Amino acid sequence: MKTDYKKIAFDGVIASNPTLKLVLGTCPTLALTTLAMNGIGMGLAVTFVLICSNAIISCLRKVIPSEVRIPAFVLIIATFVTIVRLVLDKLLPDIYDSLGLYLPLIVVNCIILARAESFASKNTVLASACDGLFMGIGFTLALTVMGAVREILGAGAIFGFKLWDFQISFFSSSAGAFFTYAMFIMTFGIISSAIGKKKKIKAYELTRAALNGGTEQAENNAAFSSVNTCPAPISGATPIAAEQAQKISSGITGQAEKGQSQNGEKTQTQTIKEEEN
Amino acid sequence: MDNTVLTYSPAPHLKANITTRKIMADVCIALLPACVMGVVYFGLKALLILALSLFSAVASEFIFLLAAKKPFREIVREFDLTSCVTGLLVGLTIGTNYPWYAPIFGSVFAVVVVKMLFGGTGKNIVNPAIVGRIFIFMSFQSVVGEWLAPSIGPLSGQSPATGATILTGILNGTPSPLSNWDLLLGTGLAGCIGETCKPALIAGGIYLAARKVINISYPVIYIAVTGLFSVCLSGFDFSVFLPSVLSGGLILGAIFMATDYTTTPDTAIGKILYFTMLGLLTAGLRYATKMETVSFAILLMNLLVPLIDRFIINKPFGYKRKKKEAENG
Repeated sequence: MKTDYKKIAFDGVIASNPTLKLVLGTCPTLALTTLAMNGIGMGLAVTFVLICSNAIISCLRKVIPSEVRIPAFVLIIATFVTIVRLVLDKLLPDIYDSLGLYLPLIVVNCIILARAESFASKNTVLASACDGLFMGIGFTLALTVMGAVREILGAGAIFGFKLWDFQISFFSSSAGAFFTYAMFIMTFGIISSAIGKKKKIKAYELTRAALNGGTEQAENNAAFSSVNTCPAPISGATPIAAEQAQKISSGITGQAEKGQSQNGEKTQTQTIKEEEN
Repeated sequence: MDNTVLTYSPAPHLKANITTRKIMADVCIALLPACVMGVVYFGLKALLILALSLFSAVASEFIFLLAAKKPFREIVREFDLTSCVTGLLVGLTIGTNYPWYAPIFGSVFAVVVVKMLFGGTGKNIVNPAIVGRIFIFMSFQSVVGEWLAPSIGPLSGQSPATGATILTGILNGTPSPLSNWDLLLGTGLAGCIGETCKPALIAGGIYLAARKVINISYPVIYIAVTGLFSVCLSGFDFSVFLPSVLSGGLILGAIFMATDYTTTPDTAIGKILYFTMLGLLTAGLRYATKMETVSFAILLMNLLVPLIDRFIINKPFGYKRKKKEAENG
């Protein structure tokens, strides 16, 4: 089976962004985003641990008995966290100090354990490492942008450079952390659902066009199935496509640009019919 | 047309001539004496702060509703003056030493985040004005530093109490440099615009009670419990009672903020419990943190209101508790 690396990247950074979509690893998110630099430091540390632990766990996925998999995962993760701690302490003592307690706490970070459990223990080594990389990038981006916003508003600075004297200390406090986090989740949700809707509509048009290449009956069913009604069993040439169309159409709510999609459908049907002829 | 057709409709069937807009207009009128005295005491800067907070509260409500694609005429028709009250209260609870943009941030945060995002008037879980004040306090207090005293000096001829408020002094055990009369009138008393002149606030409270907007016994319970618990905490020193009642924002908070309809329990017993606990919390937190805690106490108790309403409910008329089956059998 071929792994879809594009999908892994899209999932990691946008579709299931660990911070803003899965709401995992909230503890460092809330505590460390007072400064943008902290966000980068924490994000890169977590990314490193994620890549390595995902790869190793994926290697050992057939060896680890499923009854004791969590202790085994934690042992592997803890190894890499220790490496990160020792390296940071030696090379970047400033970042080591500012991350403080949250560095050893990466061991129990939900993101890493969740990826180990749900992805690395089921997929190949390369795919798992890739997943770790993109999940880490998603986490780092979210933390850095949040840290930058809170630093600009709360301290009037960015990455340590003073911008102006005006500051709203609320955003540096823990209450401000919760507020900023909520606003970020809201904004991200709005944006990503808008993107998702566009993609869904596109897929819907395509499958419907493919479906209309089959029989007349299927065309009629699909045309009326844009509302959540269940179409009658389709005896078409492309049962899988019909099934997909049914699934997708039930996913789209209400008036998802009905007219537009019908127009697109007509042109696409024509082209497909021509090809068949 | 023939109107004799019988119609069914859900309760309420009798409608009183009371609307949210009328109640809020009453609250605005009740706040006027405090605003006037604030401007008299603190000068034109106070007027600027009040105007800015009022304007930004109303404007942010309008902009939010316009952004939610509500027609402008409908917004004007349904505008119920709650954001006016919120804006005024936010302005009254900050001092004149704050920068001019502080009330704008407070009002916008209060109206947009606390009220509109939760669904508008009557759906907020905490009092918007309280959160606006706490937002300003957390954001700008470190920049501003200490409170300013009004331009009118103490009647007793002592030097005005600048710097730390009287309350901090009392809590730290030093006797108040001002007489109780000064504390009552707010002359020479450092603090925020609305809280200094107590007679103006009390007059507003009496007006509200006369118009039956609030029940005056509840704020009285709150104030009395705060005073008595402060006496208890200070080792039964009864000279603490009046200063602890008259200093800080207790009277403003008790009359205008704690009595908000949305954030008080539904039942009378629940309300008594709510205001008693408010008093205990205010005095206790004041004693523990050595600072003014009225706003934090109200915020905390607002969050407990759903819990109170869940456990203290009115007994329906003619209702008898079912006996347990174990007793019957």
